[in-house]
Amino acid sequence: MEQVATAKRPSVSRKELETVTILFAGDSGDGMQITGDQFTSTSTLVGNDVNTFPDYPSEIRAPAGTLPGVSGFQLSFSSYDIRTPGDVIHVLVAMNPAALKVNLPSVEEGGILIINSDAFSKNDLKKATYTENPLETGELDKYRVVKIPLSSLTLKAVEKSGISKKLAEKCKNMYALGVVFWLFDRPLNHTLSWLESKFNKRPEVAEANKSALQSGYNYADTVELFTDHYKVRPATLAPGVYRQITGNQAISLGCVAAAVQAKTPLLLSSYPITPATDILHEVAKHQNFGIKTFQAEDEIAAICSTVGASFAGVLAITTTSGPGLLLKGEGISLGVMAELPMVIVDVQRAGPSTGLPTKTEQADLLVSIYGRHGECPLPVVAPQTPGDCFHMTIEAFRIAIKYMTPVILLSDGYLANGAEPWLVPDVNELPDLQPNFEENPEGFTPYTRDPETLGRKWARPGTPGLEHRLGGLEKDSITGNVSYEAMNHQQMVDTRAAKVRGIAKDIPLLEVNGEDKGELLVISWGGTHGAVTSAVDSLRAEGKSVSSVHLRYLYPFQKNLGDILKRFSKVMVAELNGGQLCQVLRSEYLVGAISFSKVQGKPFLITELRDRMLELL
Amino acid sequence: MLETVQKVDDQPEKELKLTKADFVSDVNVRWCPGCGDYSVLANVQKVMPELGVPKENIVFFSGIGCSSRFPYYMDTYGFHTIHGRAPAAATGLKISRPELSVWLVTGDGDGLSIGGNHLIHILRRNLDINILLLNNRIYGLTKGQYSPTSEQGKITKTTPYGTVEPPMHPLRLAFGTGCTFLGRMLDGDPKGLQSIFKEAHAHRGTSFVEIYQNCLIFNDGAFNHVSERTVRDERILLLEHGQPLIFGKDKDKGILLNQFMPEVVTLGNGITESDLVVHDVTNPVIAHILCQLDYPDFPVPMGVIYKAERDTYEDLLTAKVEEQIQLKGPGDLKKLLHSGHVWEIGATQIDKDLGGIDDFRQDLGVEEKAPQGIWQTGLMENAVSSLRPPVPIIVAPSDSVAHAIRLMHERNQGAAYVVEDEKLLGMFTDEDIAKKIIGHDLDLEKVSITEVMLANPMTIDMNDSIAFAFHQMEIANRQHLPILKKGKLVGATSTQRLLSYVVGR
Repeated sequence: MEQVATAKRPSVSRKELETVTILFAGDSGDGMQITGDQFTSTSTLVGNDVNTFPDYPSEIRAPAGTLPGVSGFQLSFSSYDIRTPGDVIHVLVAMNPAALKVNLPSVEEGGILIINSDAFSKNDLKKATYTENPLETGELDKYRVVKIPLSSLTLKAVEKSGISKKLAEKCKNMYALGVVFWLFDRPLNHTLSWLESKFNKRPEVAEANKSALQSGYNYADTVELFTDHYKVRPATLAPGVYRQITGNQAISLGCVAAAVQAKTPLLLSSYPITPATDILHEVAKHQNFGIKTFQAEDEIAAICSTVGASFAGVLAITTTSGPGLLLKGEGISLGVMAELPMVIVDVQRAGPSTGLPTKTEQADLLVSIYGRHGECPLPVVAPQTPGDCFHMTIEAFRIAIKYMTPVILLSDGYLANGAEPWLVPDVNELPDLQPNFEENPEGFTPYTRDPETLGRKWARPGTPGLEHRLGGLEKDSITGNVSYEAMNHQQMVDTRAAKVRGIAKDIPLLEVNGEDKGELLVISWGGTHGAVTSAVDSLRAEGKSVSSVHLRYLYPFQKNLGDILKRFSKVMVAELNGGQLCQVLRSEYLVGAISFSKVQGKPFLITELRDRMLELL
Repeated sequence: MLETVQKVDDQPEKELKLTKADFVSDVNVRWCPGCGDYSVLANVQKVMPELGVPKENIVFFSGIGCSSRFPYYMDTYGFHTIHGRAPAAATGLKISRPELSVWLVTGDGDGLSIGGNHLIHILRRNLDINILLLNNRIYGLTKGQYSPTSEQGKITKTTPYGTVEPPMHPLRLAFGTGCTFLGRMLDGDPKGLQSIFKEAHAHRGTSFVEIYQNCLIFNDGAFNHVSERTVRDERILLLEHGQPLIFGKDKDKGILLNQFMPEVVTLGNGITESDLVVHDVTNPVIAHILCQLDYPDFPVPMGVIYKAERDTYEDLLTAKVEEQIQLKGPGDLKKLLHSGHVWEIGATQIDKDLGGIDDFRQDLGVEEKAPQGIWQTGLMENAVSSLRPPVPIIVAPSDSVAHAIRLMHERNQGAAYVVEDEKLLGMFTDEDIAKKIIGHDLDLEKVSITEVMLANPMTIDMNDSIAFAFHQMEIANRQHLPILKKGKLVGATSTQRLLSYVVGR
């Protein structure tokens, strides 16, 4: 282990901060996601609230050192309840000139730049389209620049492990992490043991990475790199057991929980698509819950096998992203016509077409509510945080089973990959989802409805006396046989619509954040909850008359939404699309809602939301 | 734990006294009079009671097209899905409920055109599903456009001057996917249909049966070249396992292989039955050759072409699930939600990842009996690693005492640890300075650290409790205690740190 001794060291002051945003940025092969992940884990261990946002390029390995190849992991950790990964970056770790160039605009003035000075050769600079070396031009003067020859120091630090030079160079992310751990007074032990288990079959690689991490820490500790040493106090989160969770993980666990709570097996059928694939990966691990997963040959097969599984009498779910949702449209229609329960998860990404597959957007709202042929209504719900994805998955199943209908759950790339500490729920408090399967052949007809919910009976094959036929053709309102009767069609269309609208009676009322009347009401939905709520709270703290509501139910809306809208002089709808929810609200409630939209593949910044709200006040 | 969906086939065996009428639904059949579909339906309904399967365990799937109306006419469970997608829907059901008997009725447009991809993959996966493809070489429901099996040059509404597309061959496609049961039959052969339906049902795996089906309205006579009474004996090769490939009104023609090429021969003139190919449904080479035989050069094979034993998709998947339950035990939701990187916020912060506490309790025979304060509980429950020990000062055996002292001074730590090849050899602390250095006339730059260190000191594992650390230090009578993980030094603690911990509470 390298020990750098200095004769005299300046007194290092320890500053207390409330919240810090760090961005680890490098090539997509530089291990930045792992580095960010480890810093996040350790920060939660010391009790900080953490919010993260991995931002990776769609090309898994774009040419090294180029601007499109930059991969980043942004995280904020805080001593208070934190809801977004931060607007401005306080510390940027840049592994090469491209990472510096792409991310510098987001770094606050006076922020810390930790730069791998080994990666600033002429060729590196050229790949990043720098004509001059920014480390020499003075353009970084307004930042606190810390140049560390990360590559060469790492090679030296791992020399003893005897691993190849190529592998040794890969350890530089751990060296950088060690430096940042020291800077923020974090313990190394969590990452050290993680490295050991990660490389348990290759102890020499584990040792090399551990040496790099410890050397980075010692380097920062002993060299006069920083005059400040930061500490962020533990956050005061509600007592309980927490775990770090991403939205995709939460949906996966929600699937397992739904199967357990329904005492019914579950089939997840999906075709891989970014950013939804992780759900299939995760659920596939939990076969010991009686869960099966099916990687279908295409999106259409994924939804149609979901329809078939629902007919079979198991919990059925399919996951996708925008392009897949469109392909599934006809299959979803069949689910609506056959009135079978199932959940369709759309992890939205920026479109149209292939769009920006790894970037977030909320532009599938209208297609979720309206995007099928014929009169084809179905419930649409949207979680508001990564952890909420768990609860909304269970809620989607609850609605689907009780009302015998497909339900669309709209997540997005930001929720899917973002992580937050999640208060692990008490399993005894999860809802009972046990379906009421029809068993009695006496007077059975497949389209007899529950008078309260208007849901029909779920009759599984294998039940004697309930043999019946379903299909996409219009059904007689009682027998379920094919019917071309004009008034029957009107009645069936009306009934299916009334059934879905009636769900509004069965969902919790909307709660207003702030005063329940006033000047400005801000409406948001999905993954923008954190940014919008933070912006509103900060303006309220300044005495402004602004409140917010966040919609987790997009179709039907909660019953009291119309009343709430009337109590405010102005309504602003903030969403990461061209104004889709705004359009629905205007047509549904005849309200002069103002749209604040953003479609850059990026989440909202708190500052831009605040600025727009201030303009309206 | 989850109950599996009730196992219908576990019911006590009872005489199934079903008849054909039990499988006829109350819906009027609405195919055109004279359609070949009637014959297929009648023969399916005839065979059903003979299969010994309770009718509530039978499910018919279809897509869109004339033949896809089929499920409505069967008094079983049924699902008339959407165009081309019946294989996917049937797959979802079969995966979920392997005990059900699943039948799928499709056509040349539904199965080979819009649903081609799904058909390929259901055949490849080998689910135990019986697929009847009613091939009439035309689109009937949309009233007469060419299909993927229409012959080249065919004049239809969309090709008034003749189609330029060559037709595809359903059995060759199916064989190429690795399908485990291939057969073909004429719609007008009741015995043949009943026999092949029974064989398809008996086969475990996907059964693919192509049925030449006449469309009276839009493509009448499409199969007259084989089905016409006057020519059928000469143009149909009826397959029977174990029998030579013989055909002809007088059973005087056969197929032999010449240089691997099939050839039609007439028996006699030195050619006997023993020269002919003997049909073997398990032989893929013969199956491949039979798929190539077509009018006009050869008679058209009818019957079971190929049958292979292979595990079904649903059996393999179910076995995986059972294996996982064996391996991990039935799923425990609470445990799953608490897995991964979990921590607790409350009176004490516990890193659950570190574990090992219960073992230590057991070793010491500690039981939760005496009421304890929060900090006392913390001492028992929290591992030493939760003290966040600093990175220890490490020196090599070849280093001098002066080097070690300098490092201890610079990093304000009371101990240095001597490590070689990742093995902890000894420790050197401020107690050693007091006892072995002060007042001794030594050249600190020259004396090796190994001469003054405490060799083989008492250690503690990172997962051991804080209380155990107190215990060890008391026994060793030392102020410093190295912390190991799997035998390697990862940290150190001291009486000072332990005191801070207690006072901090």
